Amino acid sequence: MTLTREAPPVVTKPPGPPKRRPRDGWANAIMVAPATVLYVVMLIVPVALALYLSLTDWDGFSANPAFVGAANYVDLLDDPELRRAALVTLLVAVAGTAGLNLLGLGFAVLVNGASRANTFFRIVLFYPHVLSALVVGFLWSAILGTNGAVNNLVTRWGGEVLPFLSDPTWATITMIAVLVWAGFGVNVVLYLAGLQAVPHSLVEAARIDGATRWQVFRNVTLPALGPSVTVNIVLSLVTLLKTYDLVVSLTAGGPAGQTQTVAYLILWNSFHDARLGFGSAQSVLLMLVTGALAFVVTKLRRRGELAVHQ
Amino acid sequence: MRKPFLWATVAFMLIPLYVLTVNAFKGQQDILENPFGFGGLTLEPLGTALTNPQFNVFKGYAITLLFVVAVNVLSVLLAAPAAYVIARSPKRRFRVLMLFFLAGTFIPGQVLVIPVVYVLKTLGLMGTIRGFVLFETVLTLPFSIFLYAGYIATIPAVLDQAAAVDGAGRLRTFWRIVFPLMKPAVATMVILNTFSVWNDFVNPQIILGPGSGLYTVTTGVYAAVSQYSTDYTVVFPTLLLAIAPLLVFFVFMQRHIISGLTAGATKG
Amino acid sequence: MRSPRPSLVPAALGCLLLLTGCGGGGFSDSEGSQAGQSEGGQVTVRMLVNITPNLTQAYWDGLVKPFEQANPGIDVKVEAPTGKGVADTLPQQLAAGNAPDVVETLMADETLAKQMLDLSDQPWAKDTPLAQEAALGGRIYTVGVGVQAQSLVFYNKSAFDKAGIDKPPATFEELEAAMGKLKAAGWLPLQTGGDFLTGLQLLQLTNPSRAQQYPTWHQDIKAGKLKAGESMLPYLERYQTWIDKGYVDKNALGLKYADAETAFLSGKSAMYVMGSWFTAAESKAEKDFEIGVFPAPVAKGQQYPGPQGATMAAPYMILKSTPNKDAAVKLVQWLVTDPEAVKSQLKQDGNFRTGVEREFTPLERQVQEILDAAPSGVPQGEGYGDATLPKGFGAAWNTEIQGLYVGKSPKEVAEGVDRWVDGRS
Repeated sequence: MTLTREAPPVVTKPPGPPKRRPRDGWANAIMVAPATVLYVVMLIVPVALALYLSLTDWDGFSANPAFVGAANYVDLLDDPELRRAALVTLLVAVAGTAGLNLLGLGFAVLVNGASRANTFFRIVLFYPHVLSALVVGFLWSAILGTNGAVNNLVTRWGGEVLPFLSDPTWATITMIAVLVWAGFGVNVVLYLAGLQAVPHSLVEAARIDGATRWQVFRNVTLPALGPSVTVNIVLSLVTLLKTYDLVVSLTAGGPAGQTQTVAYLILWNSFHDARLGFGSAQSVLLMLVTGALAFVVTKLRRRGELAVHQ
Repeated sequence: MRKPFLWATVAFMLIPLYVLTVNAFKGQQDILENPFGFGGLTLEPLGTALTNPQFNVFKGYAITLLFVVAVNVLSVLLAAPAAYVIARSPKRRFRVLMLFFLAGTFIPGQVLVIPVVYVLKTLGLMGTIRGFVLFETVLTLPFSIFLYAGYIATIPAVLDQAAAVDGAGRLRTFWRIVFPLMKPAVATMVILNTFSVWNDFVNPQIILGPGSGLYTVTTGVYAAVSQYSTDYTVVFPTLLLAIAPLLVFFVFMQRHIISGLTAGATKG
Repeated sequence: MRSPRPSLVPAALGCLLLLTGCGGGGFSDSEGSQAGQSEGGQVTVRMLVNITPNLTQAYWDGLVKPFEQANPGIDVKVEAPTGKGVADTLPQQLAAGNAPDVVETLMADETLAKQMLDLSDQPWAKDTPLAQEAALGGRIYTVGVGVQAQSLVFYNKSAFDKAGIDKPPATFEELEAAMGKLKAAGWLPLQTGGDFLTGLQLLQLTNPSRAQQYPTWHQDIKAGKLKAGESMLPYLERYQTWIDKGYVDKNALGLKYADAETAFLSGKSAMYVMGSWFTAAESKAEKDFEIGVFPAPVAKGQQYPGPQGATMAAPYMILKSTPNKDAAVKLVQWLVTDPEAVKSQLKQDGNFRTGVEREFTPLERQVQEILDAAPSGVPQGEGYGDATLPKGFGAAWNTEIQGLYVGKSPKEVAEGVDRWVDGRS
């Protein structure tokens, strides 16, 4: 969320030759080591472990898991549950990212500028982010469930029950909508930050040249927001690809397992079905896909930005 | 056009909060018959939720707060000096280290929890506060280091050199001279980490487990609500208790929270 | 935020490097998970239990209190699952190395049995209900409090009266005729639901009939002689017509288990397929109509009533890894043999045990009669003992069955079930 400029220069050469002292090397090591060690032990080792476990048939507790080679990965390929979950996850990630960013950018433009009212709007748009996804899911299922607040009202007025959570298509849309409801406030705040960095003089100049608001937005503001857009899209994608908590509390994966995401399936397989090896293979797959998508989006956007700047 | 549209959005954003609040004070029958109105207001469900043996809200808050503070302190202590070295050293190995940390931002935490269980088990930290805090801290490191390094790069290196000339060591220079200037970046990370620790569900659920008797607000809500998701006299008051203090805190601190995020984003 | 007390920084960092070395530093870990060590001669037995609307945490705490009083050296710590249920939580705990001492609600299968204490040599174990049937290779790992009847159809008597149904249906054809009449009289004929209910109810309803056609269904599937989905296809097709005709609510998947129960108890629907534990909920509900019960119908030409779906009520297992074996065995023995404890558990969850007299509600009396009249018992769901299907069958079956509500054909559903079973064997 920091990339409102070009990627920050991470390494700056101190101007002028610094006086090298032998103690500096040690000091550097002391300052870097704790974070690095902990990072390796609790993040890199687990990733390696997941790789290893994905090659076994372990149930999670018996003494000697058997090495099964790529069998889990072969199973992955024609596992209908995973295929469905992958589809749901991609749909959530792509549609959710679109929703988060369109609303985020749109409302950022609408509430840009310092005023009491704008401050209030920002608070209201942002507040669901304070709530955990779990709470958000329980809350919306109490509102949209078959016996929930909305359907009680609808049936009282003689209408048919609206299957927000009981029809697969509706439930998927409901889930994406709730994700967007809960999250777009963050994108608003991030885009607002980006908007502050748009050179005011450029906007003024365009106005004086007689450009309409839309033209100014399209030709001045949006290009200047380029890096913000990249960061927002990557963040949204990475977050949505691991959607889990909301599934648990909003739909519990139902109806008919049609809203299970990959993250949900991983934990279900690993623990409920005691197929930890298989679950690990799914984890590895999810990690690869997340990394690849983030990479591709960053690359594409960067190319796009370069094109804009030329 | 703009104002009415915004106000309509405000209504849409706040309706769930309204439904939650008003129904936390009603009996099941009143909730079912009239979910959006007042009528039959009572304090009883709230009282029952407060004394739920499965989920003591106050205990949940205390434990979660402890986690938030511990993770934030540790995260700053670990990430800031590392970021300083990475940002200031011209050596190639530190540039590689930065990329190494950056890769961590793309690893979904939920996916890690299964193998992490075995690492923690080996270290004897499974089901303990320490194990949980360490793992949550590690999850904050990649992005913190990335943000801090970017921020430190904007602080003139002349400052450190002056300190070095005065004979201060590297550690001392960092904590005395550079760190105090990093306030906005640290504030941003503290805000982000607070939310992520507070709202985390899978990690505390699995790492702490039922044996430890420890629960955060989020896992406590799950235990209290999931089995009774159709008994709205349990659902609404429990959810309200779980979020009310946080929302109050947010409303009072919103300027700092939102501007903290903004500051981090513009100055990174 | 000025300089942060430099002396603290290296100390904290050093502390971290040692990782485990600074328990006393910041936060105490006294409440860590490794319970069970004795503190002053006191032994703690951790018991993971199922929490339901009938069996609340408060109920469990109260249940074990007399045991604790009689055994001052033993402290029983009742633990509620943190996952979706015990089936999720126990594997998590096993994986984490902090398994409880006793677990309630699960039954030993090939995977779990390796983790459980063999109770075969306990003299009291073999006389507990269904202990022999649930044995694995002749070894008893699971002992229970009583028997749950599974294949029961509860019905709203006034709905039956108003629809002009004078005698409970005994075959599926009669059941369908009854549903037609009920529908015409303005009732939702059969109460179904989402959650885990969809698959459970279909298994409960079909047990007596299926058991006559395939007496060793579970074993045959396990041995690869029979396909689970294919063998159930006729029932799936029947169920599909019920959805099409509106005999069940097409939006039922939106109802949670408790929603469905409430809907039936409040008179919105006429029939409800459920296990005997429903009687406990029935006895507590206020309603202005009477509820009756009949054994699940069978196919034309089959014996009625057929074999009754039966499962062990409140099954207990002891973890092999327990450091407090004696205390755990003592507790479990008490839970399944102490007359008061048994009676309390039977009553709380609406279950039955031959030879245990307790006060029955009229509905409970009827259920007891059905149990007595059943020619035999047949395993429900994943089954038990040597006849257990692969772990997770119940949940997978449920997910597939729900497919009928969302546009899958019975054939697709059956194939989905078979694909799942094939993938696990």
